[in-house]
Amino acid sequence: MADEDEDISRLRTAASADEGDLSDETQDFRFFDKLTAYDSKDLTLPKRGDKDFEPHATSLQLSNLEASRQAMHGVLSWQRIHTPKKHLLGLYDPGHNMASVERAKGENFQTIGQTKGITTWLLPEEALFLIEKGSLDCRWPVTKPTEDEDSTSKPQEGTPMSLQGAYAAFIGFEGGVGGKLTLEMYTVYASLKRTGYVVFRTGSWDDNRPGLQPSEHTALEHTSTNSSPQRSSFFVEIWRRLGRHDTEDLSKRLQCGPMVKLGLYRSYTDIYRLLEIIHTHDHKAPPMFTLEPDSLNPFRVTFDVYKPAGKFKKTARGEPDYRVAVINARETSVPTAAQLNDLLATTPYNAFKSDGNLYAKLRHGSRNVILAIVDNGIPSYIRIADVAFSEEKLYERVGRAPRGKGRSRGRGRGRGRGR
Amino acid sequence: MASFEVALGNNPGQPSTKSPGTKEIATALQVKPTNPRPRKPNYAAIHSRSLPLEVHPLPAFIPHNPLSYLRIAITLLSHALFPPTSHPIIHKGFFSAESQSIHVTDPRSVRALWEQGFWGKGSLSRSEPRWLDQEKRSRGIVAVQTSEEATRLRREERRQFKLERAKKERETIEQQLREEGKLEAVEELEQVLMNGAATIPSNGTLGASNDTTNGATQIEDLEYLQLTPEEAFFLSYGLGTLQIHKNGYSLPSPYLFRLYCAYATFPISENAELYLHKFYQNELRSNGTHTSSGICPIAPDNPFLLKYAVYHHFRSLGWIVRPGIKFAIDYLLYLRGPVFSHAEYAIMIIPSYSHPYWSVSPERKAECKRREHRDWWWLHRLNRVQNQVLKTLVLVYVEVPPPWDEDCRGRGFEVDVGDVLKRYTVREFIVRRWIPNRNRD
Repeated sequence: MADEDEDISRLRTAASADEGDLSDETQDFRFFDKLTAYDSKDLTLPKRGDKDFEPHATSLQLSNLEASRQAMHGVLSWQRIHTPKKHLLGLYDPGHNMASVERAKGENFQTIGQTKGITTWLLPEEALFLIEKGSLDCRWPVTKPTEDEDSTSKPQEGTPMSLQGAYAAFIGFEGGVGGKLTLEMYTVYASLKRTGYVVFRTGSWDDNRPGLQPSEHTALEHTSTNSSPQRSSFFVEIWRRLGRHDTEDLSKRLQCGPMVKLGLYRSYTDIYRLLEIIHTHDHKAPPMFTLEPDSLNPFRVTFDVYKPAGKFKKTARGEPDYRVAVINARETSVPTAAQLNDLLATTPYNAFKSDGNLYAKLRHGSRNVILAIVDNGIPSYIRIADVAFSEEKLYERVGRAPRGKGRSRGRGRGRGRGR
Repeated sequence: MASFEVALGNNPGQPSTKSPGTKEIATALQVKPTNPRPRKPNYAAIHSRSLPLEVHPLPAFIPHNPLSYLRIAITLLSHALFPPTSHPIIHKGFFSAESQSIHVTDPRSVRALWEQGFWGKGSLSRSEPRWLDQEKRSRGIVAVQTSEEATRLRREERRQFKLERAKKERETIEQQLREEGKLEAVEELEQVLMNGAATIPSNGTLGASNDTTNGATQIEDLEYLQLTPEEAFFLSYGLGTLQIHKNGYSLPSPYLFRLYCAYATFPISENAELYLHKFYQNELRSNGTHTSSGICPIAPDNPFLLKYAVYHHFRSLGWIVRPGIKFAIDYLLYLRGPVFSHAEYAIMIIPSYSHPYWSVSPERKAECKRREHRDWWWLHRLNRVQNQVLKTLVLVYVEVPPPWDEDCRGRGFEVDVGDVLKRYTVREFIVRRWIPNRNRD
């Protein structure tokens, strides 16, 4: 761990004092001491320490380094135990590839599992996460006690499941409930959980594909925009006809060009309108699938992710904040337009709320999904948004454009950066 | 290297302009030392036209002002009697097969094309054709600061800042060593640090030619404007404000379309232009009877076509589109132009073969798969580069139609450009990194 961290720190030095993300930063291990302190009344999370990379001959640096090492050893040698009070016993069900817990209670179960009566059922990723966290003591199922009942001392409790056993049992089992869990999915699940998010499976994973997500927004917009713009466009049309003298054959104009003939134009908007010819994807139209339904299609929403803020009820989850599709980096490539279309068609239409800022609006997009691309256990998250540039006619936005250069972004990065 | 941030205490984000070296340079460059930064030209006025065409708006209509009726009437009448033109100048360009670009040499056209929509690039400049100004500056004739010089100055400032930073850092270490009583180690350390970055800069790089020869000498403008085929085609086919000349006559759009397509594929067949031109002349001579037989049909996913469809799409929406090879992408989108704001969007074009024609046979399917295949490392590389230069990556998928140019041998040069362009569909996706730690709030 310490070695790996040193590697990272060396990389950071090379990568200049860039505004890196927090996840890339190194932690000062000395703060671990606070975590493992046995008289811990005030347990606090470790804070990020100072960066200090190049070795120089000061004793201060050496002593800091030694303190860090000590703290790291302290953390690693700390014994983790199931306290009797919090001891949670789970039972593995090989038929469904799930684990069941009787009378589950505790903070974990506010965001995990499905309760039926007194039994809480855990999906493979949930069970595995709890086992890995050390909160769940999962047992292998007991083989039906045969005639010699006296040979097994405790027939109710099976043998404890080791972490290795848990990985082997839960991951990759085809016949389980709701499709199989891959290692990539579990990696993403665990990392998001550890970051603090509430994560649930999106629907069931073994059907061909989830349904389309039409939008009520589009329907509303279509009805509301029907009446008034018609009239104004009528006047616009008359105005345009007044302005133009030649009623030239359009197809001839398009065939050999120029699209903008010599003539009298009242505004650049008129000229830009003449130039419109390239078709774009219609974002207002109801979505459609392009590919055949296929349960093996790797591009599907895997997890619903909720921000940890606020009261969360697992029975009434509501709309997730993010939808994450887990992708194996080695087995797939960047999605084709058809694959992206089908993936985004299963996410809801989510238009940008406030009007005004062009960049923010475009960046938000109409539908979006987060791809978690996992390469050998390392997830990289990328947000893909379906954006309608064609709906933002820039030539109509004259006067509303952001002014000046470098206003919207800090000047600190230098004037000439990335012109 | 980074420990100074804590050690220094003062804000290290700003380059310290108080360093003696920087000031010296700054005064050396500017004519008036009292005015450290010359006033920027009024870019809003210079670049008031977004296209190299002229429009004639009517005067403002004010219902309660009878005079405004009169003014509108007068304008309408004068426009009816003497119709003004939208194309005051038709610019002249030449196709250069060697550089695969279109050259515009007339200084008036060069200026106009740059100012009205930021077309092309000066052949001897970074983007805006400023070679002559720079040359005059360096000979001391005029005192305008070109953007290239601003860059040089900024780089020097930054270097100076880094040196200062390194110095501060070294001093804190020395201080620590002194406190610990390891004085003998100081010299050694200083040696190590000194032969690294912390050498005293020489001011020789700036203001290179200070010999002010007499300013009376006339400098011949050696610079011309070079347009990419997409820019040139938009100007000639879309706006009709540029004519590509060869041997004294202008070439029609269908010919240019075939020409640019031929030069977009690799390898370019030898003498592609010559062949095309010969056929074109034959056709002119034979007056419409299509004799051309040696023309290659244009593939539906010809790179020029894909790029042009995207270029035309964004230009027709009002964006200023400029080539983005420096950022490892196809195009950059500027809101009003490079002088007003940084480009916000970085466009990468990906062909898409969703049409049923492309999945008829397994071989064709495999071939399409190969052509649209991009791995995840490619995407991450691209996205990281865009993050670094503060751009937003936009993947633009262009839907490739089935072949449409199979029977070109019968039709000769005839290409219905508008019809062809209508077959292509574009779709944009914005790609950004998503960092779990930053989005939790």
